[in-house]
Amino acid sequence: MMLECRGITAGYNGSPVLEKIDISIGEGEIVTLVGANGAGKSTLVNAISGLLRPMSGEIHFDGKRIDQLSPADRVRMGIAHVPEGRQVFAGMTVAENLSLGAYTQSSRSVSDLRSGRMRELCDQYPFLRERINDVVGNFSGGQQQMLAIARGLMSNPRLIMLDEPSLGLSPLMVQEVLNLVTQLRERGLSVLLSEQNARAALAIADRGYVIENGRVTLSGKASDLLDSPEIAERYLGVGAATRFSQEESKRMAASLRDCIGPATDSPVPGVRMS
Amino acid sequence: MTEFIQITVGGVLVGAIYALIALGFSLVYRVTNVINLTQGAFCILGALSTYMLEVEFGWGLPAAAGASIVAITLIGMLVGAGAFVPGLSRLSNANMLMMTAGMLTLLEGLMLVVWGSQPYAPPPFMGMEPVHVFGVLVPTQGFWIIGTTCAIITVLWYLLARTTFGKALRACAENPAAATLMGINVSRMQVFSIALAAMIGAIAGVVTAPTTSIQFDTGRLFTISGFIAVAIGGISSFPGAIAGGLLLGIVTQLATAYVSSLFSGAIALGLLLVVLIWRPNGLIRAGTQRRQDVRDEPRVWKHVTRLQPRVRTVMAMIGLALAIALPLFVPEGGIMSSLVIAGILFIALMGLDVVMGYAGQVNLGQAGFMAIGGYTAGYLATQYDVAPVWGTLAGMALSLVAALALSLITLRLRGLYLALATLAFGLLMDSCAVGLADITGGPSGLVGIPSFAIGPFDFGSPVAMYYLVLGLLVALMLLLGGLIRSSFGRALQAIRTDQMAAAALGINVVRCKLIALSISAILASLAGSLYAFFFHFLSPDMVGTSRSLELVAMLVIGGEGTLVGALFGAVLLTLLPTVFQPLAQWKTFASGGLLVLSFLYMPEGIFGSFARWVAARFNKPAKISTSPVVSHV
Repeated sequence: MMLECRGITAGYNGSPVLEKIDISIGEGEIVTLVGANGAGKSTLVNAISGLLRPMSGEIHFDGKRIDQLSPADRVRMGIAHVPEGRQVFAGMTVAENLSLGAYTQSSRSVSDLRSGRMRELCDQYPFLRERINDVVGNFSGGQQQMLAIARGLMSNPRLIMLDEPSLGLSPLMVQEVLNLVTQLRERGLSVLLSEQNARAALAIADRGYVIENGRVTLSGKASDLLDSPEIAERYLGVGAATRFSQEESKRMAASLRDCIGPATDSPVPGVRMS
Repeated sequence: MTEFIQITVGGVLVGAIYALIALGFSLVYRVTNVINLTQGAFCILGALSTYMLEVEFGWGLPAAAGASIVAITLIGMLVGAGAFVPGLSRLSNANMLMMTAGMLTLLEGLMLVVWGSQPYAPPPFMGMEPVHVFGVLVPTQGFWIIGTTCAIITVLWYLLARTTFGKALRACAENPAAATLMGINVSRMQVFSIALAAMIGAIAGVVTAPTTSIQFDTGRLFTISGFIAVAIGGISSFPGAIAGGLLLGIVTQLATAYVSSLFSGAIALGLLLVVLIWRPNGLIRAGTQRRQDVRDEPRVWKHVTRLQPRVRTVMAMIGLALAIALPLFVPEGGIMSSLVIAGILFIALMGLDVVMGYAGQVNLGQAGFMAIGGYTAGYLATQYDVAPVWGTLAGMALSLVAALALSLITLRLRGLYLALATLAFGLLMDSCAVGLADITGGPSGLVGIPSFAIGPFDFGSPVAMYYLVLGLLVALMLLLGGLIRSSFGRALQAIRTDQMAAAALGINVVRCKLIALSISAILASLAGSLYAFFFHFLSPDMVGTSRSLELVAMLVIGGEGTLVGALFGAVLLTLLPTVFQPLAQWKTFASGGLLVLSFLYMPEGIFGSFARWVAARFNKPAKISTSPVVSHV
C-alpha cells in the first residue's frame, strides 16, 4: 500500500471529529471517501496533507511514517492536496499560481523544470494557456477547479487528494472533472477523492470508504458499494442510525423525496431509493 | 518660484522618509493582512543605535550603520516570532493593530530606558554644506535619502514581483492555508516579512536621521505619517505607498511654509479625510484587485463570559461598598488623585466599550472627544464664567455634532480604514488644539480652569471629586447596563459578529452605529470636561492621540465587551506609574509589555478572566436542552 492511515483520531480544539479511522490507498488506485457534509472527510484529507495534526494514530507513506512531518515535507514526498473550495490565489495570475505549485521543487534547473511542466499542463488544458497572464479571481468555478488541480500537479505528486472537486459546479463541469480524475490514474497517479456526490465518485473509483460521524461505516470495492442498499439511505444523511429509528429515517427520506421532485423516480441523480 | 521649488524639494526629502515607512507597512500588510505600527520605532532604533556606535563608541559610519541595521533586523525577527506571528492565529485584525501599537510602546519604552528622553541630532554623512543644483539648495544628505529610497524600491520590487520567494510571500497573504499546501512555511514567511520591514525601517532611520532631531518617541510620528501616507496612496501597492509618502511630504512642507506650521498637520489630515471619502481604497489601486465579495473575516471568535444576574448583583454590591469605603484607607495625595483620574477615564472608557467592545467598531480617536469636552468647558469657564455644569453640557453637545460629522466618513468604512479615519480624527483634534491658540492656549495649554461646582457645592478636593465621579459612574453603569441588555444592545453585538447578517435580520446598522458613536462621544466629552476641572489645566498632550491609544490599551487589558472591565485597566495603568514613581522611566516599557502580553495570553482581559473564574465557581450550570435537533421536516 502506498498510503496507510492507522487509527487516526483528529479534530479541532480538542474535540475529535474523526475517531480511529483506518484507510489505505494503493499504487495507481482511485479511492473515494463518501459521506455527508460534516462527516469528517475534509478533516481526514487535512490530516494526511499535514494541515491538521492528528491527536493519535499513524500515517505511513511508502512505508515511512509521515504524521510528524511538516506539510512542506509531505509535498516533497509526493502528496498533493487540492483543497475544498479550490483556494486558488485569487489575486495572482495563472502563471503565478502554477509556479507556486512547484514551490518545493528547488533544484538548479528549477525554471526549466517548471516551465516544462507548465507547458505540459497547458497542452492538456488549453484554457490555461489562453489566460496564462490573467488574474484568476474572476474565473468560473470550473476553471478555478481545473487550475487548482493543475497547480497540485505542478509539484509532480504520486498521490493527489481532491477534496470535493465537484462542489458548486454545473453537472457538465462535474463530469469533466471526474474524467480528469480517471486520466490522472492512467498517468500512474494515485487519487484520493473526497465527494458528496456518491454515485458519481463510486462510478469512477476502484475502492471506496463511507464515512459517517467520523467513522468508516462501510468500505470495499466501489462496484460493491454502488449496489449496496445501505448507501442510498446513508448518503441522504438521514440514516444516522445512532439517532433515528429505521421508521423515522424512512419517513424523512419519503418527505425529502416529496420535496425534491416527483415521487416516481429517484430524486437525486444516482441514488436509488430502497 | 525658486522658493516654491526649494520648499518642494524639502517636501520630497520628507516625503521619501514617509514613503520608506509606508513601504514597510505595505510589505507586512501584503504578507499578513495586518498593519504593523512598530514600523516607525524600527527607524528610530536604527538611527539611535547608529548614533551611539558612531559618535559615542567611535566606530566608523559604515560599521556603525551596518551593525545597527543587522541588529534591528534581528530585533524585527524577534518581535515577529515572539509576538506578531503568534498573535496572528489568536487575534482579529483590529486587535492585531492594537497589539502592534503595544509593541510600538514597548520599543519606545526600551529606547527611553537606554537613551533617555533627550533629543539627538546625528551628523550628516558628508558634511553640512548644501549643494547648489540649478539654483536650489539641496543638503548633501538629500542625495543619500533619494538614492537609498530608489535602491530599496528597486530591490523590493524585484524581490516581490520577479522571484519565487516573492510570489511565496504574496501567496501567504492571499491564502495562508493554500500556501501551506504548496509547501510554503507560512509563519516563517511572516516572520521574514517583519524582519525585512524592520530592515527597511532601520535603513530609512539611519539615512534620514541627520535631517531631523530624534528622540525615543519620534517613531510614533513616523508611524502615524507612514500610516497616513499608505492610506492616501493605497495599502496594497508599492507605487501607492511611495506616491502617498511623497504627496504627504510635499503637502505638509508647503502648508508649513505658506500657511502656518501649527496647521500643517491639520491640512495633511484634511487631505487624508478627503481621500478616504473620495477613494476609500487609496489613490492608486493594486495591480491585482482583491475580490470584494470575500469578507474580512475575523480569524478568532471571542467568547465573553457572562455572570448570572444573582452573582452579578452580589459582585456589584461588594464592589460598590469597597469603592465607597476606599477613601477611608487611602491617604490624600498622589494615589487618591490617581483614583479620581482612573474614574474619570473610565467614563470615557465605558463609551469606548459600547463602540468597540459591543458594536465592534475600532475607535482610535476617543481622546479627540475628550479634547472637545475639556476645551469647551474650560474655555467657557475661564472666558465667560459659565457654570461648570453648563460648560460640560455645551461640550457634550459640541461632541455630539462632531460625532455626527465624523460618522459621515466612518459609517462607510470598516476595519483598517475605520481605524485610520478615527485616528485621523483624533490627530485633527490634536492639531486644532495646538493651532487654535486663541481658544486653547496652544501647545502650552489652557490655564486657570476652576474646580467643578454645582451651585454652591465646590468639588475642589480630590475626595469630593472622587465621590462625584463615583456617583456618576454608578448612574452611568445602571443606564448603560440596561441599554446593553435591551434589543439595542443585542443589535450592536449582532453588528459586531456579522454586519451583513445583522442587516439581513432587519437591524438598522447605520442608526445603531450612529447611536453607539454618539453615546461614546458624549461620555468622552463628559470625561474630558471633568478632567479639565480636576486638573485646573488642559494641554493638547493630555487629550492627544497617545491618550486615545492608552484608552484602547486600558479597555483591552481590562476586558472588552464587559462594561465594567475597563475599570480594571484604567486603575492599573493609572496607578502603576504613581506607585512605582522611582521607576518612572520604565513606565512606557511596562505598559507596552503589559498590553502585548494581555493581547497574547489574556485576550478576554483582566475582568474577563476574573469573570470566568467567578462563573466557574458561582454560576449554576445552565439546563441543556434535550429536545431532538430535527423536530420536523
